[in-house]
Amino acid sequence: MIKVSGVTKRFPARLAVDDVSFEVGRGEIVGFLGPNGAGKTTTMRMLTGYLPMNSGTIEVAGYDIAKHPQEVRRRIGYLPESCPLYPEMRVDEYLKFRASLKGVKISARRAKINEVKEQCGLTEVGKRIIGQLSKGFRQRVGLADSLVHDPDLLVLDEPTVGLDPFQIRQVRELITQLAERHTILLSTHILQEVEAICERILIISDGKIVASDTEENLHRKLHACSIIEMEILADQERAVERVGQMPGLDVRTANELADGWLWLEIEADSASMRVELYNMAVAEGWALRELSEQQHSLEDTFVQMTRKKGEA
Amino acid sequence: MSVFISLLKKELRTSFYSPIAYVVMFFFWALTGGNFYWLLGQLSHGESLTLSTQLMFSGPIITFVLPFVIPLITMRLFAEERKLGTLEALLTTSVQIPQLVLAKFFGALIFFVILLLPSIVYVSVLSHLTPGELVGFPDYGALKSGVLGVLLVGSLYVSVGLFMSSLTSNQIVAAIGGFAVLFGSLMGMMYMAYTSQSSSVRVVGQFYSSFAHMMDFARGIVDSKIVVMYLANVAWFLFATVRVVESKRV
Repeated sequence: MIKVSGVTKRFPARLAVDDVSFEVGRGEIVGFLGPNGAGKTTTMRMLTGYLPMNSGTIEVAGYDIAKHPQEVRRRIGYLPESCPLYPEMRVDEYLKFRASLKGVKISARRAKINEVKEQCGLTEVGKRIIGQLSKGFRQRVGLADSLVHDPDLLVLDEPTVGLDPFQIRQVRELITQLAERHTILLSTHILQEVEAICERILIISDGKIVASDTEENLHRKLHACSIIEMEILADQERAVERVGQMPGLDVRTANELADGWLWLEIEADSASMRVELYNMAVAEGWALRELSEQQHSLEDTFVQMTRKKGEA
Repeated sequence: MSVFISLLKKELRTSFYSPIAYVVMFFFWALTGGNFYWLLGQLSHGESLTLSTQLMFSGPIITFVLPFVIPLITMRLFAEERKLGTLEALLTTSVQIPQLVLAKFFGALIFFVILLLPSIVYVSVLSHLTPGELVGFPDYGALKSGVLGVLLVGSLYVSVGLFMSSLTSNQIVAAIGGFAVLFGSLMGMMYMAYTSQSSSVRVVGQFYSSFAHMMDFARGIVDSKIVVMYLANVAWFLFATVRVVESKRV
């Protein structure tokens, strides 16, 4: 559905998106995750044809955005960041206006507007002035607008930002329902959101994609990866060598403590390697006084992944 | 085409949603009404009726008020879309930038025509109030060319105001920029046209002075050179606006 290859966007002062490539298949819900300022919005703006890119190509439904921008726009329903609307218009009036801009046939307009209003729970507020609606309702108007021309692909830029927890839940439920019929690319800097909605996660940091995997795989990888702390009485070189030889273990740091004990921080690929380490200590005749494991949460890994790039 | 019509309708509708529209209408109509009252005074003191179109369409009130009124109409056009972020929402649909610029231009121009309607009515009313034996009144030719003159000057001012609005997301900046350019060029051209020592500077000044043009048009003189000058400048400013919107998106 989306094929982004080697896209770079340079602003006068900085490099916003740096050689980004990814694909989104038809019917997927993909979460675009990254800290503020990582390049999510810029990428989405290029994807929807609002910003031109400096290099690379973007294809949506097989159409190159540089060559067939109109074909691409017809297939994308886009909810920009902060959900811009005309506050002085009424909901029905706004949706009618947007439908006409998006080329919805006059004969089908009314039915289509009623359909998206029902989908987004706006039936009651059609006559209300947008500026007087709550933020949650305005967000739904934005979503209804992005759906009104029946696009294959929905691009939602931070759809739940600024909502209260109850509204967030409602919007998430709505998005999950929409996923049955549309491919969705959704950006956020909130981790729970991707965990709650998305099947696949793209993590972007400093304009680069640092991870792309299904939620399950990412989870497995992240939860599998753990840090083991160990304190033994042993020769440092020997201990580091022996632990390093074990498959799936990697010594990160080794320090000799003031009392002569050796403190090791070990990265483990899979969970529960402590038994192996204990057995090794017994076999080598090392005294052991500490063996503890820390689980990595998605949040830690996210912070780590995005910080690493930031510091580099 | 249907996209253009939708955009134009939206422009017209939103121009009446904004309270500024009613403030502008109030002051403009108060001033042109005052102008008409003053014109009646002049006529009752024995001024020739043939002057009526000149006083209505090239009098000091309309000449000096337009550079202030038109930026108030146009300041909103792009600046507000930028501020709200709706420009992004518009440009990610099948809307083309030239369509959008033209819709905004004609929307503002139609609003300006609505502002002018009472003045046209005033002159027609005058013809009913005066006895039929007056020769040459009302001078429909002069009325038509007077209206044409105000429309041409108005279109140029609207296109300048639209351009200023496309440069910023702040409506106040757009309005003050518009005043500065329009009033500055009006005064500058008048200075060049009427007070310069050099004859070539005077020629240039007269060619560009909208004050001189409005006087000519209101007398019934239509110079095709001047008409083309206005249309070309309008086209130039619209083109510049398209380029600004294309390049300045973030």
